[in-house]
This record gives sequence, structure tokens and C-alpha cells, in this order.
Amino acid sequence: MTSQLDPTKLKLADSHARKEILFRMAVTGDRLLVGGSDAIVHDIDLAAEPTKDVRQLSEHRGYVSGCVAHGNTLISGAYDGKLIWWNIETAEVIQVKAAHCRWVRNLAISNDGALVASVSDDMDCHVWDLQSGQKIRTLRGHADKTPQHFPSMLYAVAFSNDGLHLATADRIGKMIVWSLETGEKAAEFTAEKMYTWDPKQRIHSIGGIRSLAFSPDDRLLASGGIGHIGNIDHLGALARVEIFDWSKNERVHEFAGDKHKGLVEQIRFAPNGQWLMAIGGDNGGFIQFYDLEKGEILWQDKAPMHVHDVWMDDQQIVAVGHQRIAVWKPAT
Amino acid sequence: MKEKTIDADQSTLCNRRRFLRASGAVTALAPWAISDALRHPALASELRAKQRNVILLWLAGGASQLETWDPKPGRLTGGPFAAIPTSVPGIHISELMPKMAQRLQDTAIIRSLNTKDGSHGSGAQLMHLGRRDEASLRYPDLGAVIAKELGRADSQVPDYVSFYTATEGRQNAVGQSGFLGARYAPMFLTTESQPEFLTRLPDLSAVDHQHREDFRRLLSRRFAEQRRGGRVPSHNEAYARIHGLMSSAKLFDIEQEPQSVRDRYGPTLFGQQALIARRLVEAGTPFVKVSRAWWDSHGQNFETHLELVTELDHVMSTLLDDLSERGLLENTLVITMAEFGRTPTINASLGRDHFARAWSATLSGCGIRGGSVFGKTDEDGQHVADGEIGAAELFATIYQALGIDHEHEYYQGPRPIPLTDAGTTPVLDVLA
Repeated sequence: MTSQLDPTKLKLADSHARKEILFRMAVTGDRLLVGGSDAIVHDIDLAAEPTKDVRQLSEHRGYVSGCVAHGNTLISGAYDGKLIWWNIETAEVIQVKAAHCRWVRNLAISNDGALVASVSDDMDCHVWDLQSGQKIRTLRGHADKTPQHFPSMLYAVAFSNDGLHLATADRIGKMIVWSLETGEKAAEFTAEKMYTWDPKQRIHSIGGIRSLAFSPDDRLLASGGIGHIGNIDHLGALARVEIFDWSKNERVHEFAGDKHKGLVEQIRFAPNGQWLMAIGGDNGGFIQFYDLEKGEILWQDKAPMHVHDVWMDDQQIVAVGHQRIAVWKPAT
Repeated sequence: MKEKTIDADQSTLCNRRRFLRASGAVTALAPWAISDALRHPALASELRAKQRNVILLWLAGGASQLETWDPKPGRLTGGPFAAIPTSVPGIHISELMPKMAQRLQDTAIIRSLNTKDGSHGSGAQLMHLGRRDEASLRYPDLGAVIAKELGRADSQVPDYVSFYTATEGRQNAVGQSGFLGARYAPMFLTTESQPEFLTRLPDLSAVDHQHREDFRRLLSRRFAEQRRGGRVPSHNEAYARIHGLMSSAKLFDIEQEPQSVRDRYGPTLFGQQALIARRLVEAGTPFVKVSRAWWDSHGQNFETHLELVTELDHVMSTLLDDLSERGLLENTLVITMAEFGRTPTINASLGRDHFARAWSATLSGCGIRGGSVFGKTDEDGQHVADGEIGAAELFATIYQALGIDHEHEYYQGPRPIPLTDAGTTPVLDVLA
């Protein structure tokens, strides 16, 4: 990642239709590895014109909901509760872990590529050695039921940039920052304004915290979700980001948005910490950039689909989502 | 006729005829006392033989057939949930219903409803009436018909109770007694699970309350002696029913149940209201509708269904077990249905939209051939492939299961009005 990307100059450059719903992605070189609703990790050559499906990695038995890569190793996670280690070049399975007893919701990889974390609706977060596949520790602190007695869900996970901490977040808006060295809780707090539950009109849950990211200096923890929904039949509320000085349990920014509705599925900080990118959607999709100094939206655009995951470097932003891959590049 | 001893082991012998006569009289046992009496096995079986009941679990907003009774695993339309085998070989349902999967022997699944109406309002009306109102004729809904056909004229308990606590969609589920008149309209409970204004005012003693009623009757009798027509008796009947309802307030109080029973139904409102429904049918209420809203998952269908189907699975299986253990299931029909199902196609919000073309309902207990499946949808769930039926056929099946002739006619003036439209046939395959 780099801060050389100027969000205000971005234009949608490409948009490729797919039949699958694409949930999570990893990029290595020109190759996009993306997992979807067909239980397959698709290996796609992004440099080809048009993009070309190189091969399919198909060992999962559920929606593929996590993809991280380091070197020649890909780790995928899915609703079947499994994590699979793959050799990217040969597409061979290195090892399969029956990691969780419920849906895997997301994976995260540490900056140095040494660790992988998985979160699941079994409400466990496991930390794995990426090379050996050995489980290093299990972090438990999120309740398995909501206050209304329904099953909770553990949606989001992020490593701090210095590799000392890891954050997790759940369906009821609770975040925990863990010390990776001790496995103890370093902080625990709730994003009170994230929408999680309709107590009167429809009497069920929706929302929660879907995305997390540490600022480059690791002082701040950003969380993404959705604001107050009037009609929870739809994701009919403005996308919402709240940023906390987590060691002080203090909210320092909140971006309620002014245009785009839906869940904030992923968050990325600029390497210099000047802005933050949030992507997601409802029936449509959005990409938004927040100016952290001014506390206002820097640039936003409608995405051609509900976006589930995103990757960026100084040349482009690649997003995957509902039956589509989209690429934004600076206008020339 | 030889009189039958109810329980020779009891020091106080009960007489069947005397008991039935007493329990049917306005001045006899309070409803909660009837409920207590039903715990006596022999008495219960005798009384239950006369009483058939319905509990409708109304899944307001439209539950997904793919995440409940008609899963399509492995298809792009199928969503993320697997199908699991049930206690009936060859029948699979969604993995979200493991408890019902173990108890499918009492339940028939109908997978081939095509009700052709994907609107909440008119779809809900169709699935309450079994047909459409006419411009000049409002039909009674299922609850009103059951109240009329199975209710006792002298009953002290309400004939038709309807719970709908969520606010969304409530206007679509209001009971309609139509041409049967207000006598068969539901007791409609919304904000609370117990009827409001049913308890005697605290500063009015029971004696004073009775004296007031005696005085009212005296005045009413003198008034009636000077007049002809049916209005005064109807007025008095209404008062009698109110007195009955006041004495039935305990039926709505789940604190009357042991903690173990309350725990079994669980802490959610839906579970608590299902427990009240069981208490009501046990005491003789012929029709109880428990609405669970709101299933309209245009966004986040799978998470919504993970929550709501898990709850439905627990509540429905507990209700069926409880009814069965009390000997009530053979005379109680438990129905799950909604205004429609949900689209096989998954939208960009990971939601499913309204879909009336191929969806499912279930019938459990009274009169039903459990462990059966009727109808079939295609491999993606987009169309009915076999056994297509509409609302009328479902209603005819319900009536037949309860021993009610679905061709039975009411009259509006000289016009005969059958319970279901002429030519409608029940689904015999799911009837015992």
C-alpha cells in the first residue's frame, strides 16, 4: 500500500461480470485469488485482457469467506469451518484444518506474513503460524448469544501493524483488542451507535461490526458497520465508520456518510494515515474515502456492485463483490 | 347409558357426564381450572375427544422455504446452508432445523404452494382467508371459521386468540371474521402477551363486582320484558363472555407454569407466546395464532434466517413435544405458513425477495399423516415441478384434517357459501 494514490483522481476503469458472489480476495503479482459462493477459490490473471480464469481451487464445501496470501502460500477459509493451505503455483493443497465448528467469517494476515488469524461464528479467534499451520493460540471473549438470546457472530479481525495486537469485532458491536504475546485483553469496548438490533418493528438482529483496521501508527482502530436502520428488511441506512483511540476507549471520529447506504465491509488506512477507505453496499455498492484531518468525506463513488473485499496499491484499487470484479485507477 | 368411571384410583370419583356437563356450563370451572383438570389423564382424554384445536405459527413477512423446508444445497440459489436428513428416511430439511429434523414423524411438508401473490398485504389476506374477498362480501378468516366450527357456544375461554407483537406487518394480519360477525373476531394481542383491561379494578371487590353484575342482569331482564328482538340476548351474551374472559386471564400468565416448562420454551417472546398458545388450547381455545415477525429479508437473508429459523426450530419442536406429552397433539393441528416464500435468486444485499410461485407450508398433528412430503419444486426452486396447489387447497386440507367438511355451506341470505370455493379438493396425501 502507498499514500501516493490520490483518491480524488480515481475513475472506474474496469468491471467484469461473474456468476458467483465473490467474498474475499488476495492479490499476488498479477494474480487475483478470490473465493466465492460456489465454494471455489478462483485464480484469475488480472493482467490479461480480458481477465482470464487460470484455474479453480476447489476443496471447500461452503462459501469461501477468507483469503490471505504470503509468498507462494494461500490460506482460504470457508463456511465449512475449514482452513486450507494451498501452494499457489501448483494449486495443490498443503494442509486442511478443521479449524472452526461454525462459519469462518474472515481471515487476517500479519504484516510480516508470519501469522494468520481466523474468526468464526463459533465466536473463537484462532491465531496460526502461517508456515507450519500450527495453532498458536485461541482468543475467546465474545459472547455466543446476543443480549436477545439469538446466536451471535464474530465478523471481523485485524492485526496491528507492529504485530503486537489483534482486534476482533462481533454482531452486537463489541470490539476486543488482544495482546498477541499474552493472549489477554488489552482493551474492550462497544461501538454504541452501530446498528445491531430492531427491538420493535421487526424484532431481529442486523448490522454489527463488519470490518476493522488499525491506523498506520496503531493508535487508532477503525470499525465499519451501518447506522440506524429504519427498515431492516433492507440495508437501508447510511454506511458508518467509527474510529477509536483504543487504548483510551475513546471515539475520536465518526463518519455517518451523506450518500451511500449499506454495510461497510472493509476498511483500509492510507499508509501515511491521512485518509481511510471504506467499501461495502446494500443492493448497490460504494467506495468512500474519509479525510481524517478534516473529518469529512474526501471522495466517494458508486460501485458497480455490493463490494465485499478490496485491495489497493499505488496504481489501482481492485474490488470484488456481488457477481462482479471492479477496478479503479487514477484518471490519466 | 352406563356411566363411566373416570379414575377408579381416585378417592373422589368423577363422573364423566357430570364433568362434561359442568365444564360446559357458564357457572362451572374457571378456564384455568379446566386446564388443571386436563392434567388428569382420563378426564383429559375424554374432554379432548370433543375438542380439536389449531395453533398457527404465522411467519409474518415471508420465511424462506430454502432455509427451512425445501433446501437446495449445492445450487447457486441454495445459499450457504446444508440439508440434513430427518427422522423420516428420504426427507431432508435445512440444517437450521436440527430439532424438527428429529421430529418430522408428526409433520407433513407441502413444498408446492403457488399462491401467485407477492404482495405482503394481499398475500397475507389470501393466506388468512384462503380466497379473495368479494366487493360486497367479506369472508371470515381461518381463525374465525375454526372458532365457529370448533368453539363451544358456552365456552368461557376466547375462541380465537391472535398474538402479533412486532409492529411491522401487523396491519396485514389483523383477524377478520367477515360475515360471521364480531362474535368470531379474534382477541388480538399486540403490545403485551396478556390481555389488557381484563383484570378487575383493584378497588373493586369480587363481591361488589358480582353485585354489579346481578343488578345489571335485573335491569336487563326488565328491559327485555318490554321488547322483542335479538339485541338484548346478544347484549347479555357479550357480558357473559366478558366475565368468562376475565376468569381466563390466568391462561395468559406463563408464571403459572413451572420454571422447567418456561425454560423449555426458551426466553424469547415467540417461545413465551407459544407456551401461552399451548395453555389456551389445553383449556379449550380452538384457534390460536402466534405471529413471529418479521421475516422479510431483502437484505442479509441468511443471517436473518440463521436467527429466526433457529428460534422457529426450537419453539416449534418444543411445542410439538409438549402437546404430544400432554396428549394434545392428536387433537391439535399446528400450522406454519406465511404470506409467501422467498426468491431462490440471491440479491446483492445477500437477501431474498418476495416469492409466491413455489414455496412451503407445514401441517403437524391432528389429522395429518406425519413424515410426509407433498409436492416438489425444480432443482433451483424456481418453479413447482409437481403437485401445485394454492391457498384454497391448503385450507381445504386444514379443514379436513380437523374433521370439518370443507364443502360445508354457510348462508348469506339465500346464498350458500361453502368453506372453500367450489371444486377445491384437499391434499389427501398429507391427511391421516
